[in-house]
Amino acid sequence: MAKVLMKGCEAVAEAAVRAGCRFFAGYPITPQNEIPEYMSSRMPEVGGVFVQGESEVASVSMVYGASAAGVRSMTSSSGPGISLKSEGISYLSSTKLPALIVNVSRGGPGLGSIQPAQCDYYQMTKALGHGGFRLMCFAPATLQEAVDLVYNSFDYAERDRNPVLVLMDGCLGAIMEMVELPEMVEPDRKKTKAWNMSRFPDEKRPGKGLSPVYPEFVLEKENAARGQLLKSWEENDVQVEELFLEDAEYVIVAYGISARVAKEAMLKLREEGFKVGMIRPITLLPFPKKSLRNLDYNRVKGIIDVELAIPAQMHDDIALEVMERAPIYDYGRSGGMLFNDEEAYDAIKKIITGGAQ
Amino acid sequence: MKKSTVFSGSGGQGIMSAGIMLAQAAAEIGKSVTYLPEYGPEQRGGSAKCTVIINDDEIISPLIKKCDNLVCLNEQSYKKFCGQLKEGGLLILNSNRVTSTVERTDIKVISLAVDDIAVELGNTKVANIIMLGALAGATGIISPDDLAESIKRKFASKKQAIVDLNLKALEKGLEAAKAVL
Repeated sequence: MAKVLMKGCEAVAEAAVRAGCRFFAGYPITPQNEIPEYMSSRMPEVGGVFVQGESEVASVSMVYGASAAGVRSMTSSSGPGISLKSEGISYLSSTKLPALIVNVSRGGPGLGSIQPAQCDYYQMTKALGHGGFRLMCFAPATLQEAVDLVYNSFDYAERDRNPVLVLMDGCLGAIMEMVELPEMVEPDRKKTKAWNMSRFPDEKRPGKGLSPVYPEFVLEKENAARGQLLKSWEENDVQVEELFLEDAEYVIVAYGISARVAKEAMLKLREEGFKVGMIRPITLLPFPKKSLRNLDYNRVKGIIDVELAIPAQMHDDIALEVMERAPIYDYGRSGGMLFNDEEAYDAIKKIITGGAQ
Repeated sequence: MKKSTVFSGSGGQGIMSAGIMLAQAAAEIGKSVTYLPEYGPEQRGGSAKCTVIINDDEIISPLIKKCDNLVCLNEQSYKKFCGQLKEGGLLILNSNRVTSTVERTDIKVISLAVDDIAVELGNTKVANIIMLGALAGATGIISPDDLAESIKRKFASKKQAIVDLNLKALEKGLEAAKAVL
């Protein structure tokens, strides 16, 4: 299929439609408004339903209902709105309902700013809502990658019977790039028919998940099963891009838009003879632990965490794998302020040449 | 060859539209492109800026410190972004609204009274297309023919008069750039 020039939010929305998403409920917030805007005209064209809810809480609850009825369902928002949706997302996970949730992140905390930032790493990977549930979280760096990850996300959500998160920053939401859109998939309602209203496809007994109240012994069993799921993600579902790790003395760790800017800086530094490599997590959860754990720390002199977040939020996940075998440096901007190719180059070079703390 | 262009002005001047048209035209001839808009919460009157990068190969960072070409449609944007233009770069400014004198001597400058030209054409909205024509004429980052074809496709669903107006604006911009160079 020919490539087309598309805006990030719209490309992601179209990818979801092509994956068979037929229900979208959302509520306006910059910088993700183009997702619901696009869906408002696109959903009726494919026989789907678009609802602009009266609030974030209402819209995520509508997704809860639509998913329970077996429809591939999606909502999107930005940090503050994701906070409001968190209760509903916890309920989705509790009742084992698949859904796609896209966060086009902006500066925070609080109302923050409308400009791009990556300050929702903790929110998306650690504790999106109450109760200790975890969701797979994808972090694309290009529009093509965003389209492909969104397109596949419903398969993961239905496989695990758990919502899936896609974290984009405001840059990726607003940027226009060439994308190749995947084939349109007609939703298979037999496969997904009534996830919870009748029974789960692979279980003989009727599902009782729609009631959010479990007996304690069932809840414990369910939570233990989720623990196993988390382990299986780490074994089977990690996606990561590794660059020049075979000779790297300094390893940049960055995701999303930061990884693209840092990659440009890395290539320039390599031209100058600096042995710099990169680990780019594509799945933030499961985090690519092995990539960091298995580095040759006799050679690696430092890890450089590059993020649009101050303080750097991925730092702790990195530290757990580096285990004090090399110093970890942070570089980033925050609050909606961005860094560019030359600023990243200067900052990383300063770290490598010993000029930074 | 990687070339970056920044369009800047105030909301309502067609800054984003001009950027998208350039990106679309380059995409249609098989180039890699990124278009990145930056604007505040205002619908009109606020600062508007977009960066278009065109390359033969993959574009890695869409966030750049310095640009090859800078188009300024008002005074505010000129003051804000003139420093981001590379040494030897091209500045195209709207002399109807940019009142400062250009002090940099290390850049090429094309100064056009685009608002006046647009009024002569009968529609102030085409100021951005005139700038686009001047950019194409002065830089060669996109051929005027490819740009014209892309504009025809963009306005295909509109009345012929709209298509003609935009093509005429493009032509005016090209002529103006040639006259200056």
